[in-house]
Amino acid sequence: MRVATANMYDTTISQLMRRQMEMQRTQIQLTSGKKVAAASDDPTGAARVERALASIGRVEANQRALEASRNSMRLAESALADGSEILQQIRETLVAAGNASYGDAERQGLAAKIEGLRNQLLSIANRPDGSGGFVFSGQGASQPPFLDEAGGVRFNGLPGTVITGNLDDFPLTVDGRLAWEEARSGNGFYLTGALPNAVTGGPARAWIDPGRVTDPALLTGDDYEVQINGTAGLAQATITNITTGAVTTVFPYELGKTITLDGMAFTISGAVQDGDRFSIGAAQNDLKIFHVLDRAVEELRTPGRSSQQIQQTNAFALRDLDQGFQNMQNVRSLVGEQLNLLDGSENRLADLKLYNQSERSAAEDLDMTEAISRFQIQQTSYDAALRSYAAVQRLTLFQYLNF
Amino acid sequence: MSLLLNLGARAMNASQSVISTIGHNIANANTPGYSRQVAVLKTATPQFTGAGFQGKGVAVATIYRVYNSFLTQEANSSRAAASGDEALLTSLQRLEKVLPPGEAGLGKAMSDFLNAMVDVASRPADPAARQVVLGRAKEMATRFASAGAQLADLQAGVASDLRANVQVVNSLATQLANVNGQIQRLAGSEHDTNDLLDQRDNLIYEISKYVSVSTLQAADGTMGVFIGGGQRLVLSNQAAELVVEQDPYDSQRVQLALKGPTGNLPLDSGLLNGGSMSSLLAFQNRDLQDARNYIGQLATALTMRINTQQSLGLDLSTPSGAGVALLAVGAERVMPATTNARDLAGNFLSGVSITRVDPDFLQASSYILKGDPAAVGNYLLVRESDGFTQSVVDGQIVDGFRIDFDPFLAPPGPLDTFRLEPVAAAAIDMRRTLDLPVGIAAASPISAVTTVTNRGSATLDSIFAVDPATYSNANLPATVRFTVQNPDGRINYEITGPFGTRAGIWTPGQPIGNDPGVDLGFEMRINGVPKGETAFGAGDGDTIELVQTPYPNQNNGNVKAFIQLQGEAFVGKRDLGGGLISAGATLNEAYSAAMGEIGARVQGTAYLAAVSNQVANDADAAKAAQAGVNLDEEAARLLQYQQAYQAAAKLLQVAQVVFDELISTVR
Repeated sequence: MRVATANMYDTTISQLMRRQMEMQRTQIQLTSGKKVAAASDDPTGAARVERALASIGRVEANQRALEASRNSMRLAESALADGSEILQQIRETLVAAGNASYGDAERQGLAAKIEGLRNQLLSIANRPDGSGGFVFSGQGASQPPFLDEAGGVRFNGLPGTVITGNLDDFPLTVDGRLAWEEARSGNGFYLTGALPNAVTGGPARAWIDPGRVTDPALLTGDDYEVQINGTAGLAQATITNITTGAVTTVFPYELGKTITLDGMAFTISGAVQDGDRFSIGAAQNDLKIFHVLDRAVEELRTPGRSSQQIQQTNAFALRDLDQGFQNMQNVRSLVGEQLNLLDGSENRLADLKLYNQSERSAAEDLDMTEAISRFQIQQTSYDAALRSYAAVQRLTLFQYLNF
Repeated sequence: MSLLLNLGARAMNASQSVISTIGHNIANANTPGYSRQVAVLKTATPQFTGAGFQGKGVAVATIYRVYNSFLTQEANSSRAAASGDEALLTSLQRLEKVLPPGEAGLGKAMSDFLNAMVDVASRPADPAARQVVLGRAKEMATRFASAGAQLADLQAGVASDLRANVQVVNSLATQLANVNGQIQRLAGSEHDTNDLLDQRDNLIYEISKYVSVSTLQAADGTMGVFIGGGQRLVLSNQAAELVVEQDPYDSQRVQLALKGPTGNLPLDSGLLNGGSMSSLLAFQNRDLQDARNYIGQLATALTMRINTQQSLGLDLSTPSGAGVALLAVGAERVMPATTNARDLAGNFLSGVSITRVDPDFLQASSYILKGDPAAVGNYLLVRESDGFTQSVVDGQIVDGFRIDFDPFLAPPGPLDTFRLEPVAAAAIDMRRTLDLPVGIAAASPISAVTTVTNRGSATLDSIFAVDPATYSNANLPATVRFTVQNPDGRINYEITGPFGTRAGIWTPGQPIGNDPGVDLGFEMRINGVPKGETAFGAGDGDTIELVQTPYPNQNNGNVKAFIQLQGEAFVGKRDLGGGLISAGATLNEAYSAAMGEIGARVQGTAYLAAVSNQVANDADAAKAAQAGVNLDEEAARLLQYQQAYQAAAKLLQVAQVVFDELISTVR
């Protein structure tokens, strides 16, 4: 087979050009450190890079949302801690108010103290979150969320929580109504109360304690009315189940003895009067802390009450305060749990981000060792091509012909 | 004596002739398209003498060129293919730069924009977070617009490249016609006009680089050259002129045509193959349009969904109102063919317009609307991306857009055609239309509150409006009550409000509020599991209250809807008929797919270009192996015929000596 001279040169030159181009491509890869610079370098690799990049962006956004949530929850937790502190102080004051030796003047002083603590508590409930909102604003509330109105303090907003985050749900606020207005009334199961005397129409002379539960399975949740008839020694207690109409009598009834009925156990103490009535109802989630405090202050300020009345109101105030305190503790542990969850999420998100970054690197980054050795090989073969071109083009018959 | 002299003279002439031919070969060793020429020697007619036939010496029979028509045609056609693939590869590589992967790409810009929304969710009233969202929106719109502008530049580049190529081809064709004329005039002799034939072959080879041609040898020695399935480019000594003219639909696209006596004859780009011009046309008509449609589909789907969700939310202005459009894209285009029926003033007799209706169903394709040849008065819609054809009527909604005939003009005739581009022109005009941070509609108009006495573990994940046609604040306040618990884990619910009572079924993980049968235009998602009724009809199942959002500046419900766009597979859904809808892709997936598609085309074309280049080189080498000049071979032959010349000269010398001898003897 013949070889045409012009064609031979053309082929060699195009080979040289091709080798030079390959070398240049490897050089560009080495400089940028990436083996996927355009989609055509590796279409599936480029798609992997895109996916990894999108995931990284979403994880980062989620991490920012987590930080915002953590700030809010920390503020909420410290606000609830402060609130619990104040409630403790109020409790001590109320316990002191039960001292039988205190008179109206002392009780006025205690009332003033409780009122001051109550106002402090209100400012805690309206604590701002540092970015224009309020910690206890729920799903949205007036600025501030708790309004001190003529009828008492009211949560003026939508209950619930504002949630942020794109991959997870992170809370930004605490439900104000839940923390401050939804404690369980009564002793958690049923609510005891005093009714006006059936005979005299005035307040009862005895007082009923908050009560206990002996058997939760027997609780009915019905409304009852307890009426004491007769005087000491020949008293009878009539317990009417208002919901079903059933009537139970205890005769003879001795003051200070516990009445047990339908899983409930309560005691009526003090000097009983004929016709004293008491009510028992189902407990609801509607106990408002501020109403409790306002009522306690009002009662302490009322002069000229009998010792039984004072006992009764004190017992009820302590009972309600304890329930409110319990509720606040529940909410506080909820917030604490949230913070724990955020810590766990933080680790998880960091791992997710790292995974995606490795994905991206695996798809996109150049294996330096392989690239460098490839570059060496290309350099050597280019060099060989140049040398062989120089050697061959010197070989021609005309050189040897001398005429 | 005279015989000897004659012999010597003839031999010297013949050797000289061969040496000249060899010299011609050596001189033209590097001339492109040159076929080496060989002088053929033959013996002169012998003379009959009484003692036998006396030879009369050598003569040159002819000078022929070493030529193989098969190899030449192979070289032409493979060079056309290689040239075409090369041109397509260059164009596709430029196209690829419009859709880069990674940080500089459109996918990253869309992700950044939607991720910035999460910060607005964390602080709905914070103007800084909102400003970041606006900034990212502008960045994204700018990237789309610049991608669209780059594609427009590529289109202009194709047009100008075609014009330049057409000029070259036209001049080559004119030269070819001239050479044909010269060959025709000299065709009478029995010898070939070698150099002219070489010139003509080379011109055909050069034309092949621009467009593949077929040739036909005529009886008078001229060669006819045809392109595009039989249109004549050069016939005898006449050359036709190629022109670049406007596409019948789109004034920015071009097509090739042959100038004729009565007007230009457009060349069907499907019949042109091989050569860089055909590749440029194929690139313009297929790859460039695909790229425009891909980014247009993304831009339009995202913009329409964002704008709809903005209108369904409440912004931060006082008082809160529905959000306004955040982004805008280029409008839909309808292009009538220039050949459509017109009235005497030159106005079209019929008109068509299209309106985008449903962003989820928009496809990355242009369409052709034409009359149905089988049934006059019916119309066919051809989807250019896959060739799917369906019949359509005025006002029909197909693939996410509605086709309307102009009511003031006649309906399109059977020969009228229109090109419809619902998304192709969208990206180049994408821009942000909202500049005030308070304009971002972060709040949802509807809020939900779980009742405190609920016994289940259901908490609210998100609630926002989704359907502007069915959502109304007049339907609030409403109550959702869970009723019967189904054995498969789903729970029935009733929703009661000013509209009456509607019933639906809650499936874990699925939203409620817009399910068929309820259709209240909002979607509520719940975490956890609510508890249904204890006994049938007891009415004590969990409840959720739905109210109008009382404090919109602290609500982030609508932002959740924006954030969900990242993960919703809504781009490019298809209605497969019979209630079946094929899933679309998420925004990032759609971009990855488009980018990967173009990348795969580049890869494939690069491979093809390498192969066809190798094939063309091999064909060239094969042709050159036969017809090319090898200098060493010529040098060797030179030596051979130089010796022959010297020997012939010696013969003359001997003849002279013999003559002198004879003369001196006679004197």
